[in-house]
Amino acid sequence: MSQNADNAVEVIDLSKNYGPVAALKEVSFSIESGKYFVLLGPSGGGKTTLLRLIGGFIKPSAGTVLLHGRDVTDLAPNERPTSMVFQSYALFPHMSVAKNVGYGLKLRRMRKAELDERVEEMLAMVGLEGYGARMPHELSGGQQQRVQLARSLVLQSDVLLLDEPLAALDAKLRKDMCLELKRIQEKVGITFIHVTHNQEEAMTVADRIAIVAGGELVEQGAPRDVYERPVRRFTADFIGENNLFDGRVTKTGGNAATVDLDFATVQALNGNGLAAGQAVALSIRSELLGLLTPADAENGGLQTIPAEYLEEVYLGLTTSHLVRLPNGQEIMVRTLSNGEAAATFEPGQTVTVGWKTEAARLHPD
Amino acid sequence: MMDTYANPWAYRAQWAYLLIIVGALMAPVFYTIYISFNEHGFGAQIYDFTWDWYVVLFRNQQIIDSLSWTAYLGAATILTAVPMGLIAAKYYKRTRHKVVFVTLMLSPLFVPADILGSALLVYFKNLNRAFEWLGDSLGVTWFYGWFELGFFTALVGLILWTVPYAFVVILITMSRYRVQQTEAARSCGATAWQAFWQIEFPQIRVGVFSASAFVFILSFNEYTRTSLLKGGFDTFTTVLISHMFNTGMSGDSYAMGGLVSVISMAVIGAVLVYTLAKAERLEREARAKAEPVAA
Ligand SMILES: Nc1ncnc2c1ncn2[C@@H]1O[C@H](COP(=O)(O)OP(=O)(O)OP(=O)(O)O)[C@@H](O)[C@H]1O
Ligand SMILES: [Mg+2]
Repeated sequence: MSQNADNAVEVIDLSKNYGPVAALKEVSFSIESGKYFVLLGPSGGGKTTLLRLIGGFIKPSAGTVLLHGRDVTDLAPNERPTSMVFQSYALFPHMSVAKNVGYGLKLRRMRKAELDERVEEMLAMVGLEGYGARMPHELSGGQQQRVQLARSLVLQSDVLLLDEPLAALDAKLRKDMCLELKRIQEKVGITFIHVTHNQEEAMTVADRIAIVAGGELVEQGAPRDVYERPVRRFTADFIGENNLFDGRVTKTGGNAATVDLDFATVQALNGNGLAAGQAVALSIRSELLGLLTPADAENGGLQTIPAEYLEEVYLGLTTSHLVRLPNGQEIMVRTLSNGEAAATFEPGQTVTVGWKTEAARLHPD
Repeated sequence: MMDTYANPWAYRAQWAYLLIIVGALMAPVFYTIYISFNEHGFGAQIYDFTWDWYVVLFRNQQIIDSLSWTAYLGAATILTAVPMGLIAAKYYKRTRHKVVFVTLMLSPLFVPADILGSALLVYFKNLNRAFEWLGDSLGVTWFYGWFELGFFTALVGLILWTVPYAFVVILITMSRYRVQQTEAARSCGATAWQAFWQIEFPQIRVGVFSASAFVFILSFNEYTRTSLLKGGFDTFTTVLISHMFNTGMSGDSYAMGGLVSVISMAVIGAVLVYTLAKAERLEREARAKAEPVAA
């Protein structure tokens, strides 16, 4: 067991089965103290299960949870240095906002004067000064989530767990709250673990993102790495707007690989030491693809494939162009809307899609 | 087109309907109470007010004994059936198999009282026989008579009868409660007991009190199951009914009937007043607190 006290959280081979359903399969990872860590993934992937295992709300079928190097696997939630913010319905409806926020402190038998002061401080931090006397049902959804946040933060636990804390809010409010969560986390400096299936939310707040799907931790890294350099095919497919092509490595040499896509042969960087004959997926984000004129295609040193133009979708800042490849697959090419590349294409026209060699990534799985 | 507001008769008819229904239901009860205060009893030409029938009642040792048995049974039923109803309601909130669970919980209500009572009677007799046989073969006797008819068997009958009501009444008041609230309390450092007592219970207190009152009245008024399962002792209702069968209605039967009605109505009235007062207080508080906060 690698027990590193600098890691706020370390889970080792953690599994959870619900009858025949394996919600989590031998997941291992660690979270550095003071980081904003996001668990991102599709619905049913096991994010909530993982978070609740860390908080102690459910018992693992196998594996270990360490918090600051201490084994807490068999401890109840109230005996762990964690606190949790729920998606909704978690405020105590029969208590005022101030009583809600002060609940944990009262359990610790803090003196009333000090308790009141700390509660006021916390309400100010989450932007709810003067709301102490209200009842939960007199608050908007966003305000209720702020109260939950205050109720957890006031305890100064080592780790704050947030399960889809913004999912019940509308898009605009979610954006504002995201930035505020990030600001508060930087201010208090404790470890946050935030579960979401919203990519933008994850990108906004995270120091590190872990992709969780199918009960496994697929990949983790800084938001930029996960976005720009996904290692696993699943990540490429899930994050950003990636185009994926299935192919086979035909030749390797140096740090390059030649990939046969059936309808075209292209070069790519061979970062993962692939061997000839191996099946791979090649991913390229739509904004790194371009629609080329015949001249560009001749002298660009770019990777190119032929395609048939289908339609364009104007999205404001960018415009998406849908094209069809010779094998029938449809892919998306995204360009900035204002550029002088105002060359327009007719549906049915033959075009060339191109990209810089280093823009493509190979995924062996 | 008819305008309900322009036609006062439609409105009055609704009230008249309500009064007639309530009157028809309650008139015999009030009439019984009325007669119980007449010195000359039922059917007399003259009415002279008296407490005498009640004095007769409370001088009768059999009545006093039956009243105390009734009170013991009622208390024991509250102490068992209400917690059981509470646990069932808590379980219902968590389970995924809600329909199956509710059907099981309410099934005692679908069985007629005399069927359930006699089925239990046979069941206990057989259990008793089995235990005696077991005791004789093993040569130990300390569990002899565990299932002989008596307080315990009557209590079981009453629990079966009242738990569904306790369950439903408590469940209704649980609508605001969510499991996340308990989890949030736990993550604030509360033990399981603190989370229950400080977060969950205050929200369902009204339900628990109402269920207690309800269960008490049900056990107090129960005749069929109790008379089949009680064994040696008598409850107020069994005395009243055997009295009616054996000697017909007399002045003191009316007094007994009056007593039953008054106690039942008093308990229900107290619960209603308490619940309404509580609801009103909550609303007043909510309104006071909803006033805009001074900036
Ligand atoms: N109490 C339970 N009983 C049985 N299966 C469960 C239970 N809780 C979760 N599961 C299953 O475990 C898997 C993972 O669920 P989990 O709630 O962790 O997913 P999630 O990633 O949080 O999804 P979402 O984004 O929808 O909240 C799912 O297949 C789910 O059906
Ligand atoms: Mg979830």
